[in-house]
Amino acid sequence: MISRRDFLKRVSGAVATAGAIPPLLTWATDDSSPQIPGEEGMIVRSARFLDLETPQEFLTSWITPVPHFFVRNHMHEPSTLDPRSWRLTIGGEVEKPLTLNLADLAKLEKHTVTNTLECAGNGRAFQQPHVPGIQWQKGAVGTARFSGPRLRDLLQRAGVKPTGKHVMFHGLDEVPGKVPPFIRSIPIEKATDSDTLIATHMNDLPLSKHHGFPARSLVPGWIGAASCKWLSEIKVLDKEFDGNFMKPGYRFPNQAGKPGDPVNPDETHVITALSVKSVIATPADGSTLRSRSIRIDGVAWAGEADIARVEISTDSGASWKPAQLGREQSKYAWRLWTFAWKAPKAGDYTLMARATDSLGRTQPETAVWNPSGYLYNAIDQVKIHVQA
Amino acid sequence: MFKPKEFRYCETDPAAPVRDSSYASKELPKAALLVFPLLLLMPLLRAQSPDLPPGPALAKVRTACLECHDASIIVQQRLNKAAWTKEVDKMIKWGALVEAVDRDSFIDYLSTNFPPDKSPEEMPRTASMKRR
Repeated sequence: MISRRDFLKRVSGAVATAGAIPPLLTWATDDSSPQIPGEEGMIVRSARFLDLETPQEFLTSWITPVPHFFVRNHMHEPSTLDPRSWRLTIGGEVEKPLTLNLADLAKLEKHTVTNTLECAGNGRAFQQPHVPGIQWQKGAVGTARFSGPRLRDLLQRAGVKPTGKHVMFHGLDEVPGKVPPFIRSIPIEKATDSDTLIATHMNDLPLSKHHGFPARSLVPGWIGAASCKWLSEIKVLDKEFDGNFMKPGYRFPNQAGKPGDPVNPDETHVITALSVKSVIATPADGSTLRSRSIRIDGVAWAGEADIARVEISTDSGASWKPAQLGREQSKYAWRLWTFAWKAPKAGDYTLMARATDSLGRTQPETAVWNPSGYLYNAIDQVKIHVQA
Repeated sequence: MFKPKEFRYCETDPAAPVRDSSYASKELPKAALLVFPLLLLMPLLRAQSPDLPPGPALAKVRTACLECHDASIIVQQRLNKAAWTKEVDKMIKWGALVEAVDRDSFIDYLSTNFPPDKSPEEMPRTASMKRR
């Protein structure tokens, strides 16, 4: 096991050694880059609605700084957010409906969860045939410390009736046209898990606007869509919510079909926890490296499960060797990993990373194709050219 | 003249003025005083402001689609005609104002300009404060 300091040194050394700083990084410093307060060097997949992707080379720190944390919006962010007038209602199948303000939340016991949050559509751009949606590549994922009261403490105060089976979240995002509102629900078992939060803080600071100020649900280990930003309403339901973003949205085929074939909506299920996945942060795909001593770095995560191992192939998948996992770990959080490699000679190489989790799940060579490109988790690969 | 508003963006503080985070530089007014630097900037500015390519349906596509979202959501898609048809019909259902007589021209325009075999769209990056 290597120390954190060594690990970080190796990580930063890797970029220098590899000589693989992507040219876009220089470009990003240009004054003509779009200015979005609080966001640094992020890939603008969409400016309105705001969708920002973390460049892969930023995926090298265990805690993702907020300015580097991906932003996913289906709708317009709330045009006004006044912490003084903000209220959270809890109703539906409860004995005593509640209305809370921010000060009420602050009085409740605070709990912190370090969680890797990933958009269900992360990696959609790699699906073949192509599917519609934000064309995320590797970086609709990040890890942060989320803090706030437990959802179950709020539900206990409201008193969930025996008929309460699901918990619905509704936020203050503004819906254009006739677009269905972004409302989803989670089962009562997950809602009352001791790690499911109404988060008011991210990395020890109040949530930023893009991440759901003043409060959001945080459903650890599950797809990002389960965690609702700008939360204003919690409603306990007697059954699963059945709006657009539960069906047909965010569903996965029960059985893998042929890529491109239609999927029968009746043979799908709601997506909940994340899959096992790893991505290579450096070197970048297509980079030319000046030294044969190369460090390959990345992150691996598995939703509610733990990462058991990450293996690296430098010969297009013919053989695999274990990567060294970073020391920092926490349930629901990704693991950093690193792999030191000396290329035998100058030439072209395909580097691959493959994670296996505590449930025995291993990344597949090909992800299960589905019409919205959810849960892409094929073995990651980058092609590099070694000069020396 | 059509004024693209796709990059309008609201600050966190509701009292703060709406910042136009268009991909144009905030330094642009200064640069505009000097013709030569402006000319140098032109290709870069174009690269950062995804605009829709010309075509018979362009004006109507702009009006109908960019009302709710910016052009980058369109230009990053790589879909065949069947998939574009589904998208156009979904958007009409969700409130896009497309006359029935224009539906096919929308589908033709989108599937011609953003087909599966086109290379991926290079998207801009936000400014990086720390690296300045």
